[in-house]
Amino acid sequence: MSKPFLTLYCLIIYAFLLAPIAVVVIASFNSGAFLTFPPQGYSFRWYVVFFNNEVFMRAIRTSLGIAAITMVISGIIGTMAAMFYVSHAGRLKETVRIAMLAPLLLPEVLTAIALLFFVYSVGIGTQTMFGMVVGHVLITLPFMFINVSASMESYDPSWSMAAQSLGAGRFTRFRRIMLPLIKPGVIGGCLFAFIISFDVFTISFLLKGVGMSTLPIQLFDYLRTNFTPEAAAVSTCSIVLTMAVVVISEKVLGLRIHRF
Amino acid sequence: MTEVSIEKLTKDYGQGPAVNAISLKIAEGEFISLLGPSGCGKTTTLKMIAGFEDATAGAIRFDGRDVVHVPVEKRDIGMVFQNYALFPHMTVEQNLAFGLEMRKIPKPQIREKIAKVLDMVQLAGYAERYPRQLSGGQQQRVALARALVIEPKILLLDEPLANLDAKLREEMRVFIRDLQRRVGITTVYVTHDQAEAMTMSDRVVVMFGGRIAQMGTPSDIYERPANLEVAEFVGQVNIVRGKVGGGMVSTAFGDVPVTGGHADGTELMLALRPEAVELLPVNSGAAGVPAKVLSSYYSGSLVDYRLELAGGATVNVQTFPRTRFADGEQVLVHAPAERFWPLGSAA
Repeated sequence: MSKPFLTLYCLIIYAFLLAPIAVVVIASFNSGAFLTFPPQGYSFRWYVVFFNNEVFMRAIRTSLGIAAITMVISGIIGTMAAMFYVSHAGRLKETVRIAMLAPLLLPEVLTAIALLFFVYSVGIGTQTMFGMVVGHVLITLPFMFINVSASMESYDPSWSMAAQSLGAGRFTRFRRIMLPLIKPGVIGGCLFAFIISFDVFTISFLLKGVGMSTLPIQLFDYLRTNFTPEAAAVSTCSIVLTMAVVVISEKVLGLRIHRF
Repeated sequence: MTEVSIEKLTKDYGQGPAVNAISLKIAEGEFISLLGPSGCGKTTTLKMIAGFEDATAGAIRFDGRDVVHVPVEKRDIGMVFQNYALFPHMTVEQNLAFGLEMRKIPKPQIREKIAKVLDMVQLAGYAERYPRQLSGGQQQRVALARALVIEPKILLLDEPLANLDAKLREEMRVFIRDLQRRVGITTVYVTHDQAEAMTMSDRVVVMFGGRIAQMGTPSDIYERPANLEVAEFVGQVNIVRGKVGGGMVSTAFGDVPVTGGHADGTELMLALRPEAVELLPVNSGAAGVPAKVLSSYYSGSLVDYRLELAGGATVNVQTFPRTRFADGEQVLVHAPAERFWPLGSAA
């Protein structure tokens, strides 16, 4: 493919991917009373409404909290699973991989229904957000696992052996040698987990606690009865938040520190 | 300085022993090589000494203390890996400091020790570099420094020169050997390269199929090999056959005296190293067996000849290229009787 044609091709792809987002963002600055495109005028009117809407604000806090908890749990389990998979699974390697990726292969709604039955039959129920967190961890785990195990593949086990020969115990070997070297995979996986958890609808919808609402659920609820640009404002904030998480973690934690 | 003693050490992965009841004593400050083809159990033995593999049976003692159940990190060993295994996210200095930090040595002392060891491996001024910024030979020396800076009881090296090019490998042989002498540390070196084992070691342990085939000084191994396998693995060798009769073996080179009470009539194999054979011009009038040059290979400092003896047997000879013989030329071959070494009766 010639260079100009390739450039054009890439631009079209990007436009295809980003246009819906752009439309939402532009629509959120609508000064009119209805969600229309192109907007009838520009203002921050709907942002003010959104920020004063306690229901939405509470939903955002719930979503962020659950995403954070999910990220931590998924991060720990996923990293441990990847470590087992790469260095100890032996003949079970393929089985472990398929088992870890299974949540990706099942329709989310089936996973959600199965979990719903499960939490009720073991007596946990949906009074707390426990069931929902379990669901979120379950569907984010494959992304965590893929990311960490990919960075583990380039980890040379002799690094751990060298550390051991120098007197480092199990925990020190992990903290000072392995973790820094697989950090890009761990951080990448955590970002995925956070964003997916923040965004997931079906599982949250079925497993949410009584009177509890995450942002996607609240938004869905809202759109059933209202059609104001406030929905676009909420979406835009959600997009900005997600992007901020990605950018900040990249800057602060550094995704590209190791180039061998 | 530590004395290592290994008794009836065995490792069985479940398909027969990989290391089969080997016993070995390594004196304080001694440099020992484990030499053998791949799969002979030399690396497994090293890993058991290090603690990376559990012994199925047997004992490993450092200065009399059994360490079989001591985990690697408590064994106080220094190990150099084939691929160096330097921590890629740490500078040279941080790599060297790691083991010292594990030993809770105060910072100023760490800095002092690192400066000293970097000097020793001729890498002063490289402290701030990352491993990827170093050449193979430099990485090798950092790996050596990292193993030595903790002043371990013993130094273990697992084919450390295998990834270097030929010239560097020869330099590093001398370097490691000199360093080991200066530090005086008990050292176990694993290699499949006989030249490496011979030039560096006080003693060489030749292993085949999980057993020790022979243990001795490099010259023991080379000049008095225990059996055919050892003779063929360590350097080039001609196997000369002959029948015993009255304390002599009659060979294509003439009669060679043997000791060891071989019965008359048994067929014996003798080892004859290529460089032990002299080649003389036919008209020199010296004693010798006539032979014809089949081919010759010139390598600068030496020439390798392939000759056919009058009886049809072929023999390899290595000489200095002072006198050259052409292919097809007739020569006289002389091998002094004391250069033949009996390997046992032929099958």
